[in-house]
Amino acid sequence: MHTPLHIDPQQAFNEMAGFQRKLAAGVQNLRGLTEQEYANTPREAIYSEDKLTLWHMKGSSNPTAKVPTLIVYALVNTVWMTDLQEDRSLVRNLLAQGEDVYLIDWGYPDGADRWLTLDDYLNGYLDRCVDVVRKRHGLDAINLLGICQGGTFSLCYTAMHPEKVKNLITMVTPVDFRTPDNMLSQWVQSMDVDLFVNTMGNIPAELMNWVYLMLKPLRLNQQKYVGMVDILDNPNELKNFLRMERWIFDSPDQAGEAFRQFIKEFFQQNKLIKGDLQIGKQPVDLGMISQPILNIYATQDHLVPPDASRPLGRHVSTTDYTELAFKGGHIGIYVSGRAQREVAPAIHQWLRDRS
Amino acid sequence: MPDQVNDFLKDYQAFAQQSWDAWMRYLQQSGAPAPFGAGPAAMAPSEDLLTRSLSSLKAYGSWLQQAAGGAGGMGPLGNWQQPAAMQPFLAAFSQPFAQTIAGIDTPSAFGLEHQWQSWLQAMQRSGMSGMAGVGGMGGMGAMGAMGAMPGAMPSQMPNFGLTREAQKDQQALTAAIHEYMQISARYQALLQQVNTQGIARLQEMLGQRTEPGKQVDSMKALYDLWVDAMEEAYANMALSDEYRDVFGALVNAQMQVRKLQQQQTEQMCRELGIPTRSEVDSLGQRVQQLRRELQASRQREIQSVPDNSEVDALQAEIAELKRELAASKASKIRPIARKSDDNDNKTAAASRAKTARSASGKRK
Repeated sequence: MHTPLHIDPQQAFNEMAGFQRKLAAGVQNLRGLTEQEYANTPREAIYSEDKLTLWHMKGSSNPTAKVPTLIVYALVNTVWMTDLQEDRSLVRNLLAQGEDVYLIDWGYPDGADRWLTLDDYLNGYLDRCVDVVRKRHGLDAINLLGICQGGTFSLCYTAMHPEKVKNLITMVTPVDFRTPDNMLSQWVQSMDVDLFVNTMGNIPAELMNWVYLMLKPLRLNQQKYVGMVDILDNPNELKNFLRMERWIFDSPDQAGEAFRQFIKEFFQQNKLIKGDLQIGKQPVDLGMISQPILNIYATQDHLVPPDASRPLGRHVSTTDYTELAFKGGHIGIYVSGRAQREVAPAIHQWLRDRS
Repeated sequence: MPDQVNDFLKDYQAFAQQSWDAWMRYLQQSGAPAPFGAGPAAMAPSEDLLTRSLSSLKAYGSWLQQAAGGAGGMGPLGNWQQPAAMQPFLAAFSQPFAQTIAGIDTPSAFGLEHQWQSWLQAMQRSGMSGMAGVGGMGGMGAMGAMGAMPGAMPSQMPNFGLTREAQKDQQALTAAIHEYMQISARYQALLQQVNTQGIARLQEMLGQRTEPGKQVDSMKALYDLWVDAMEEAYANMALSDEYRDVFGALVNAQMQVRKLQQQQTEQMCRELGIPTRSEVDSLGQRVQQLRRELQASRQREIQSVPDNSEVDALQAEIAELKRELAASKASKIRPIARKSDDNDNKTAAASRAKTARSASGKRK
């Protein structure tokens, strides 16, 4: 039998020296690098309210799609994951396919937003954004593309305002919040959310980031940076890495009341699929959703496991339900090379078939 | 070989130190972007935070040094199945794990100790150190010394006198901190179990790599394998009911401490005439309610006023209908013959037929 460790001592020393050499040289490469910009696809602010901005994204040619698509992102992190860099942009790819794309930037809540509820977000902000886009296009209904928590919001919204949604696309969207492989869900089950929100007020972004890092502590806090040493001599890759770091950590605080409701009613009580959820005064019944649905999930998603997304089909009344499994993770579904080739074309094709 | 190893490690240490120093200098330059790590915190010009930013890399560098030192001493690592022979590797792995966990203990996450110290200093600076219990707590240093806090208010002592309420508050805080420390110790014990289980899993994984072609052939590959093993062990723990309960209890205990700290701070603010967090929250809540009512009022207004474009369209339609009606009336007073030759002919023929039928009838 052979030994599993086939490491020559001299080679081990060379690796050590090589690591330190790369690290020392890397300092030089980092010097002069400024904050990395996102893709910054041309856009026009067409509506704003409080911290929120509704953007109309501009492609290099006029859209061919007759019905616009509104991207509804999560309250955690920022929507710019969908437009991260020029060659890794869901927005750009959708525009290139001829879609007419709008997106909501929720902004950075502060103390003044501490009491915003899910009702304020969904039946207030989101509803007004949908109305602005509908009126602009003279349409009764538009397409919604909800991402992660924004996908959950889009489902709730469609159930409450079905007449305003023509087609619904959900990406990496939790629907069943109590699956056994959902680490985030597991962690909040024994939390006293009322004490938490009453004490913290708004939930600091840094705390949220800490929780996400703790999902895979060694991979996300150490191995990733060890890997970075290998790209310190590659300016482009280094910029891409730093841009992603910016997106990961430049994230908004969470409005306290909305956070309280989301953790309690979705994560702890799993009301969305139980059918007893209420947002404001309106009941949220997924069975009310008869619109065509494209549900895209990532097979290696550690934040929203596939089992949390896939049950959607069982709870809606639509007869036009499509699932798309993307081979990748929660972030890779937007920024990986595979995502650039597969995701936007699949969305465009699905929408075109229903135009 | 051992001499060569020692010489190399000596040189390596010096080189590594130079490298870390260069990184620290880079990070300390004003305006340097946060290279990685905990975002805004990493940009703060504090050496402590900069060290945290680099901790992951430093942990890996230290592990390399320790593990490779072991490798040098062990020769070709042929007897990996012997616990004693593997010891240098396994011992080396404990460090990066501990450093990683400690490195992400940010002030707003579970760095309650940092917060506690800041709060305590603020209380002392503001003249509250004379408050029952506060001065005594200053001697505790780290929260780990909670059990031996000099001057701490015993949680079961009855309260009386002018400072009765302050004593009660302090007792509650003392009890809450004590509970937090106990739960924190349980949480740390679980993480230690992860470390142990991860190393066991690593050994299993190594046991599956004895065939040529599957062997681990570099330090980096070994490190990556260790990460896989640790993440697997961690995921098993993090999804367990025990972890769920301890994690929840830890969060709740910390929130209890913070809540009591806030209450004491508010008490101090009230005495100094400074607006408190509760008052600001209360105002915020009222403002939010007004914003909702304003929006609802706007919506009602919009709904009660007809859409101009719809009115315009209706008016245009009415105008068109009026034009058509007028045209229709005009057509009725025009001579029939003008309509068309066909109609003229048909009308004349019908008229003739009628006349003929009439005449025929009369004849009958």
